[in-house]
Amino acid sequence: MLQLIKLAFRDLGRNRRRSFFSALALGLGVALLLLMASVLEGELRDALTTTIRLESGHLQVQAANYDETKTSLKWEDLIDNPDQVASQIAGLAPVVEATPRLIASGILSMGDQTTGVRVMGIEPSATANAPFQEGMVSGSWLQADDRDGILIGQSLADKLSLTAGDSIQLLVNTSDGTVDQQVFTVRGIYSTHTPGFDDRTIFMALAKAQALTGTENHASLIFIMLQNRDQAAAVMAALQGPGYKGVTWEQANALMLEVESFAGAYMAMLYLIVLGVTASVIVNTLIMAVFERTREIGILSSLGMKSRQIMLMFFAESSLLALGGVVIGLVLGGLLVAYASTTGFYIGNMGVTGLLLGERIYGYLTLRDAGMLIAAAFLVSLLAGLYPAVIAARMEPVDALRDTQ
Amino acid sequence: MKLYLRLAWRNIWRHSRRTLIVIVAMSIGLIMMMLYDGLVAGFEQAIYGNAIRVLGGNIQVHAAGYHAQADTSPLLPLPDEAAILTAARAQPQVVSASRRIITGGLATSADGAFAVQIIGIEPDVETPVNVVLQSVKSGRSLTPDDQDVALIGKGLADAMGLQVGDRFTLAGRATHDQMRQRTMTVGGVYDIGMSDIEKQSVYLSLGEAETLYGLTGQATEVVVTLKDIGHEAAVMAPIQASLPGVEVTSWQTNFPELEATIGTKGAVMTIFGIVIMGIAGIGILNLLLMAVYERTREIGLLGALGLKPRQISLLFLLEGMMMGLAGAVVGILIGLGLMLIFRQVGFDYSAFSSLTSYTALISGRVYPTLGLEQLPARAITVLVISALAAVIPAREAAQREPAEALHFV
Repeated sequence: MLQLIKLAFRDLGRNRRRSFFSALALGLGVALLLLMASVLEGELRDALTTTIRLESGHLQVQAANYDETKTSLKWEDLIDNPDQVASQIAGLAPVVEATPRLIASGILSMGDQTTGVRVMGIEPSATANAPFQEGMVSGSWLQADDRDGILIGQSLADKLSLTAGDSIQLLVNTSDGTVDQQVFTVRGIYSTHTPGFDDRTIFMALAKAQALTGTENHASLIFIMLQNRDQAAAVMAALQGPGYKGVTWEQANALMLEVESFAGAYMAMLYLIVLGVTASVIVNTLIMAVFERTREIGILSSLGMKSRQIMLMFFAESSLLALGGVVIGLVLGGLLVAYASTTGFYIGNMGVTGLLLGERIYGYLTLRDAGMLIAAAFLVSLLAGLYPAVIAARMEPVDALRDTQ
Repeated sequence: MKLYLRLAWRNIWRHSRRTLIVIVAMSIGLIMMMLYDGLVAGFEQAIYGNAIRVLGGNIQVHAAGYHAQADTSPLLPLPDEAAILTAARAQPQVVSASRRIITGGLATSADGAFAVQIIGIEPDVETPVNVVLQSVKSGRSLTPDDQDVALIGKGLADAMGLQVGDRFTLAGRATHDQMRQRTMTVGGVYDIGMSDIEKQSVYLSLGEAETLYGLTGQATEVVVTLKDIGHEAAVMAPIQASLPGVEVTSWQTNFPELEATIGTKGAVMTIFGIVIMGIAGIGILNLLLMAVYERTREIGLLGALGLKPRQISLLFLLEGMMMGLAGAVVGILIGLGLMLIFRQVGFDYSAFSSLTSYTALISGRVYPTLGLEQLPARAITVLVISALAAVIPAREAAQREPAEALHFV
């Protein structure tokens, strides 16, 4: 076997340029796919971690008939006495933090402009709100007893030309199905670098939000962060109680999982196309090698080499080509992925509202993706080597020796 | 030249198997680009087709400064809408031109609250052209002198738990920094099959919007409907000329994010396609290098017969380009076949309709076009790449000394 590999290696070296180009073709394909896979994975991963951090948490507890697409504030749709519920939940072992949030719909108006927003009443001291507090761009963070302060996202502030300290009129829906309004002061401006979130979310102290919307001592949901997101289902099972329901991050991100499976199918198709084209280059190279060496194959077989061994020799050649191609691909692809995961690509605001996408997407290469890609590259190269190897193995020694081409 | 073409054509078929493999590789690259172009065009058509229906017309006229703040539905009255209406109606393409008042607001009921655009329309003028008014499924459409009556979409009605005859609170932005709250009755529910879009607007009669929002006798938008799509520019120019102070836009400019997304993805896909065809190009390169080597004696003979090096390299360049071209032709044929099938079947995008503000405009399946939008550019890419791939072998062939090449065994 070692002998065969040595032979194959030498044979490849006989036409170095051609072998190099064939390996390069495979390398380019592998590099391209590595980059694509890492960007896709990075995008979805970022979207998921962002959504968990900002919006869904690992787990939420809501009133049984709460529907988050409607932002109803009827008392029967809300959690009664949320502080107590939250502290009970926080007592569970895997729970890092549980904090109540109240969510209302509203419109902000400034001069002749109006824009629809989601008003989120939060406990300012809760560490689960750290992503917003750390993202403060100007002004100051909320105080629990702030009665006329709000925080707004930077992209929204830019749109309405607001700075910290400005006054703005806010109208929200209330528990009785009507509306109420008040003039608020912009305490500060935050940025999570996620246009889909910053554009439409404003924060207010929970107590004030409850007073404004007539939902005293109620909250829309308890936002729960766990030590590990895999614990969500177990914690949810422990929380089951009448009148409440739990929503895990998986349920809250159903759309994203849908996008993910779609993206997976898309990548599989790209693998097929790119590796298919690459395979054609390898097939051609090896077919040429077979015909070039017709006489040589004749000599080898008249010296007693079996068809099987001749076949193996060409397989060894295609494996070596594949090895070279994968190495080139890993080097090129590694550089591309390194660039993508450190610098990222700026995409700005693509109007994506269903997923929380950041302004930049970063690559993220999982070992699984890389491993699958390498395995696929090898498999395709071996399959590509099959046809030329069979041609070589089927040659009749006598005819092959006579070949004068 | 004809001779070279014939020679090149014969040469590439001397080893038909390997040529065929190269052609298949090239055609796969091209088919992929066609598929992508066709899908994007189908996607655009699906969105834009509905965009006109939802926006109410092909052309919108607003007061100066509107577009920069379009996200926040600014309440900017038009300076002289009568002149705009006259200018628009004077154009032969124009079917209808009508006034509208658009402002931001919040619709609430016990079940929930939604930020909406409140759109005051002239029902008597718009009914013949407005799909929303034509799609009233229960209750009745609006009339010009309706009081406290709103027309809402099925998506909003379902989400707010409302039926015809029910009441809800509608707060809207009025002039002088005022919010006007009003209890409205649902007069009718329309259904245009796009529930995410339907959740975003509430329709009133223009007269009611005028009184509620303090704009008596005024409008914030003039919407113009044309006979056919595609004549927007010809109608926009005279309207703009009649009133230089206003902003005249067509429906196409209403989705800047869509254009940005399609632009970015298109660029990524183009690079992707070029890399794939580049890989196929390496196939051509390898094949021609081999051919140069195989035909050493023949090249010597051609040289001895008086062919100049330039002419010999031309022959090899032509061979490379011919393979590329053949790949393109095969690709186009197979691609067309595939696209014809996809056109019949379509793709279901409904799961992703809530993904972005513009995919909400997709009402059902997306049907790709034939993917011929950028075909000339794609085909030229194939040719250029195959010509580039042939450069090294062609140069090598040209550098052969006839005398030595003839002696080559």
